Amino acid sequence: MNHLSEEQIVLHYYGDADGAAEIERHLSSCPECQTEFARIETMLRQIEPLEVPEPAPGFEEKTWLNVRDRLPERGGFLRRNFFSRIFFSKIFGPQQKWAFAGVMALLLAAAFLAGRFWPRPGNPPIANNQENVNPQRIVLVAVGDHLERSQMLLLEIMHNDETGPINFSAEQQLARDLLDDNHLYRVSAQKTGDPQVARLLDDLGRVLAEIANGPAEVSAGDLQRVRHTIQSEGLLFKVRVIESEVNSKARRPEKISAGNVNQRL
Amino acid sequence: MEVTDAAVVAQVLAGDRDAFRVLVERHSRSIFRVVYRMTGNQQDAEELVQETFLRAYKSLERFELRANFSTWLYRIAVNRTLDFLNARKTQMQNKETYQITDNPDSDEGNQVQLPATAPGPDRLLLSAEMKRRIAGALGLLTPAERVAFTMRHMEGRSIEEISQALNLKVSAAKNSVFRAVQKLRQQLEPYAGPGAPTRTARWGGSAVK
Repeated sequence: MNHLSEEQIVLHYYGDADGAAEIERHLSSCPECQTEFARIETMLRQIEPLEVPEPAPGFEEKTWLNVRDRLPERGGFLRRNFFSRIFFSKIFGPQQKWAFAGVMALLLAAAFLAGRFWPRPGNPPIANNQENVNPQRIVLVAVGDHLERSQMLLLEIMHNDETGPINFSAEQQLARDLLDDNHLYRVSAQKTGDPQVARLLDDLGRVLAEIANGPAEVSAGDLQRVRHTIQSEGLLFKVRVIESEVNSKARRPEKISAGNVNQRL
Repeated sequence: MEVTDAAVVAQVLAGDRDAFRVLVERHSRSIFRVVYRMTGNQQDAEELVQETFLRAYKSLERFELRANFSTWLYRIAVNRTLDFLNARKTQMQNKETYQITDNPDSDEGNQVQLPATAPGPDRLLLSAEMKRRIAGALGLLTPAERVAFTMRHMEGRSIEEISQALNLKVSAAKNSVFRAVQKLRQQLEPYAGPGAPTRTARWGGSAVK
């Protein structure tokens, strides 16, 4: 007579096993499986939830004050994610998306160069309005956000340990979205003379393209190949390092002031 | 009448950054509890609460106003915690870790590794020795297993909630919980008292279908 597997017993303990009625029937007639169930149950009951300490009084206030100081300005690039989804998906097809991204990149580059070389009479006024959003800071925040999202996708792939055919459509969709942003940021980084970020986005773009253009259902072997690419290029590590650098620059607004327009990404 | 979370989100999206404070005040304590159970460290948990809100703010455009904000925030918190645990694991692989010997008098290599930042639970009703073993065993789980196990075992979250929070398929979420329990068994059962040997050697090929 077949016995229940360890997995069946564990999942049945939590009420998550498939074929619960059949498992129940088997348990009622199999002393050996009953013993195993009791053993697992005893072990799991010993693991009680951690008692959570009460945060100090004023915890909410402290959290808000810490968060408030780090909140990015809303607008510009940050809003682009929201609006571009609607804009791109409703108006543009895939080909036009690329063209639009290219045009946007050129416009960004042109704006940067115009700002840098346009003759200005007298001394340029120092940024005198704290409320004004510094576009470079917004770009930094947007790139940081992009790298963070990319890192999550890469981590998800690295830790996916399914064995059978894997439905990869959600990851593909995310990779496609990231790929659009990635191209734009890469071109911006190249134009503004930040080769380190540009190189990383170049590497990242190749992996994102591989994920985005692969089949919707992949085998464990396919997934392993993607993992190998990620690992062989040390991509996850690079993304973490650059993301950390970008975010720390974004949090230092004084270094990206109007007096320092050459601040790189 | 209390303003709904969705209304506050709309206010923030309309440009009122300070309105976000309402959401922080409403949800920070519950997020702290979740994150603490996964990290076991108060300071880490407090920082992750801040990271969660920061991330939520940056992603607010992606929040659908008809959805439940606390569920959405919970998923962000779980993901941030998972990233944190992954990063810590990588860090720990490169740096020194505390080595806790199961039997201090023995040098048979029967050791578990605990991250330096993970303290033992303070007020469990179990013996100090068992607490130590459980903390050690939890420290051996992968971040995904630890998060999935915490959600299922300690918070009573459903497999569907785990799969959504971790962006896993249901089968993968079940598997993460199972693997966590399997590892905990291997670590804890030898000390759980006298009894017949387990059938572990036979598991696998004889399942009821």
